[in-house]
Amino acid sequence: MASEDEINLLVIVVDVNPIWWGQQAQREPEFTLSKCLDAVMVMGNAHMAMTRTNKLAVIASHCQDSHFLYPSKSWRGGDSGAEDASSSGDGKYELLSIANNLIAEEIRNVMSKSEGNSTDTLLAGSLAKALCCILSIKTVYIGRDTKSRLLVIKAAEDCALQYMNFMNVIFAAQKQNILIDACVLDSDSGLLQQACDITGGLYLKIPQKLALAQYLLWVFLPDSEQRSQLVLPPPAHVDYRAACFCHRNLIEVGYVCSVCLSIFCNFSPICTTCETAFKIQLPQMVKPKKKKLKQST
Amino acid sequence: MASLSEEVLLVVKKVRQRKQDGTLYLMAERIAWGPEGKDRFTVSHLYADIRCQKISPDGKAKIQLQLVLHTGESTTFHFSNESSALKDRDAAKELLQQLLPKFKKKANKELEEKNRMLQEDPVLFQLYKDLVVSQVISADEFWANRLGDINNTDPAPYNNKQEVGISGAFLADIRPQTDGCNGLRYNLTADIIESIFRTYPAVKQKYSENVPHNLTEKEFWTRFFQSHYFHRDRINTGTQDIFSECAKQDEKGLKSMVVQGVKNPLVDLLSLEDKTLDEGYGVSSGPPSTSNLNRSVKESSNAAIIKRFNHHSAMVLAAGSRKGLSHLSSVAIEYEDLQRKNRPKTVALNLKKSDRYAHGPVPLLSQHYTTSQDIINSVNHIRHEMVNYKPNLTQVLSSTAATSAIAALSPGGVLMVAGAQQAINQMVPTEVQGELKHLYAAAGELLRHFWSCFPVNTPFLEEKVMKMKSNLERFQMTKLSPFQEKIQRQYLSTNLTGHLEEMLQTAYSKFHIWQTRRMMRKT
Repeated sequence: MASEDEINLLVIVVDVNPIWWGQQAQREPEFTLSKCLDAVMVMGNAHMAMTRTNKLAVIASHCQDSHFLYPSKSWRGGDSGAEDASSSGDGKYELLSIANNLIAEEIRNVMSKSEGNSTDTLLAGSLAKALCCILSIKTVYIGRDTKSRLLVIKAAEDCALQYMNFMNVIFAAQKQNILIDACVLDSDSGLLQQACDITGGLYLKIPQKLALAQYLLWVFLPDSEQRSQLVLPPPAHVDYRAACFCHRNLIEVGYVCSVCLSIFCNFSPICTTCETAFKIQLPQMVKPKKKKLKQST
Repeated sequence: MASLSEEVLLVVKKVRQRKQDGTLYLMAERIAWGPEGKDRFTVSHLYADIRCQKISPDGKAKIQLQLVLHTGESTTFHFSNESSALKDRDAAKELLQQLLPKFKKKANKELEEKNRMLQEDPVLFQLYKDLVVSQVISADEFWANRLGDINNTDPAPYNNKQEVGISGAFLADIRPQTDGCNGLRYNLTADIIESIFRTYPAVKQKYSENVPHNLTEKEFWTRFFQSHYFHRDRINTGTQDIFSECAKQDEKGLKSMVVQGVKNPLVDLLSLEDKTLDEGYGVSSGPPSTSNLNRSVKESSNAAIIKRFNHHSAMVLAAGSRKGLSHLSSVAIEYEDLQRKNRPKTVALNLKKSDRYAHGPVPLLSQHYTTSQDIINSVNHIRHEMVNYKPNLTQVLSSTAATSAIAALSPGGVLMVAGAQQAINQMVPTEVQGELKHLYAAAGELLRHFWSCFPVNTPFLEEKVMKMKSNLERFQMTKLSPFQEKIQRQYLSTNLTGHLEEMLQTAYSKFHIWQTRRMMRKT
């Protein structure tokens, strides 16, 4: 059992890719970004309500940047917060109502901006920011035990260009004993599967988006110690196959250049990455005996 | 009969064995007895096989000698010569006493080695029990590959005894006791003597020169303690003391040690010098008074004691380090990384397309194409939606959605299918798992012997391969089948031994193929 003083930090990274969510709103109007954020808020409230020492952080992962929805920089003044809380009037735990209001305000700000031309979610960057947040909490509460984990709610597809950064983040999290959980709404993400496998978290692709809150509360609310006592979806088989450098096909058996370690699916005499020449021994050809030409006088 | 080349060391006539008269022969490597009148030996034992010999007590009427072998058997010889029975028996006993230790070591060494190996490695012990004790394989075959060459291995690794150091106070520990009448008794033990020899090699030299030719040991030590060498005030008055030489040698040794200095670069002894401000608080310019003339007599005797102490300590340390400890100096002050070493020249890596590494295992062609118009539409839509976002936490989840989600997450649900198969190691109890492990180890050992026979080139390998096949069959019959029956009776029908059977079947089919080929070659 966790000791009373242990600080449990949950960082939720929400993928708010406007293109995907805009298309989603047109596909399935019952489940939009608003609903998703409501479910996330319920999850965050539940986490903070469990113990006084539980802490929460929420990051929105956009195409242009990653933004902290909670705790946000604008939450400095106690007065404005108190007014909002008392105005809600439903006797809710103050911390929760403040958090909800902040998250709502920040997401409105984030979604109102729309510059830039990229269409990919900056997920690797958000994860890196989350890790930094975890580290800063660790240094603030340096005398006490801190346990942290990361929950990623993913909507859009993987971006292949972020692969290196992603892997770096995953290994850094593994070294710091930070779990990465993933709740995937649409298409399976190989990178997140690897992240969950390496760090020991749970990967779940949910069949029903409408029941997102239920999945979050059932599967992702318990922390790692409690998970061992529960019956949760078993880990899926992760495809760790490498992709060949020429076609980006996933291969099981291939050729590796011994100089630059690049992977190819077919043999070629010159490695295209480092331009090393390789020789393969061909079977010996028996030369036909040359008949001596008689010299004609 | 004894071969001509065997050297006969002792012949004893009139020795009875099992109520038969005969003659006992002690040869270079064995002891043998032949009955009277016959040409051959009926009893012959190698000295290596004999564990020990026993003799009957002196008072008994029968004078006997018993040989106990390693295997536990014993042979008794009765010396029945009326006149010289006791002499004969003693002569035989003495000779055996000299010969047995020579041969004993070799035999014991092997046995000791085997025992040690079995004790140290429980897996090996279990394998030994499974295979040799239950007679599936013979002990010789088991040890054939494992022992290696006992006679050539260096026993040094197993004799890692540390050298005992010298106590610095060994001389002081010899506390003299008053003898009553104006004499002193010094108690010397072997340890103290050894310490003295190791610390002062000069004394050792004197000892080896004088004892036992000129002096007895007692006299030597008496002189040692009487000499001024041992006493505090070492005034070399040129007396006829065998130890005055030692004193001179010590002086020389001390001087050379001082000249050598301390080799440890991390210790700077010179900085520990007393730097006193002389009288006058450093202002007066009088010469420092270090000349010998100014020293009082007391100072010189103090200096002598201090010199002796230093010398003693230095000799003790030197004796300890004479066994060849490596110097720390070169390792301590040099950092390998910081030195510029002549490394072999390497070729730099030249990558033309290094961005290939950064691409993840995702196909280049994305699956979705979105037109720019779509993008603009989506962005506008979402912006529009979120402008007025207000959390509505009471309407997050409908009960139907929740129940279907719970159903999916419960055991047997859509998401929980993979977990239905329990891990096999949770279903089978640990004793069964343990037995299975032992079976695998034993089968592996037998199969290793079997497969190492191929290709079958020599008649020895032929024999071995046939023997191994019968061993495998015996193993299957005695060990594998009962185990299978046991688990079938008690537990689920999980096929734990399928792989083992497969391996055995492969071995049998290979043997069968080899046998048919052999038949065909013969015909």
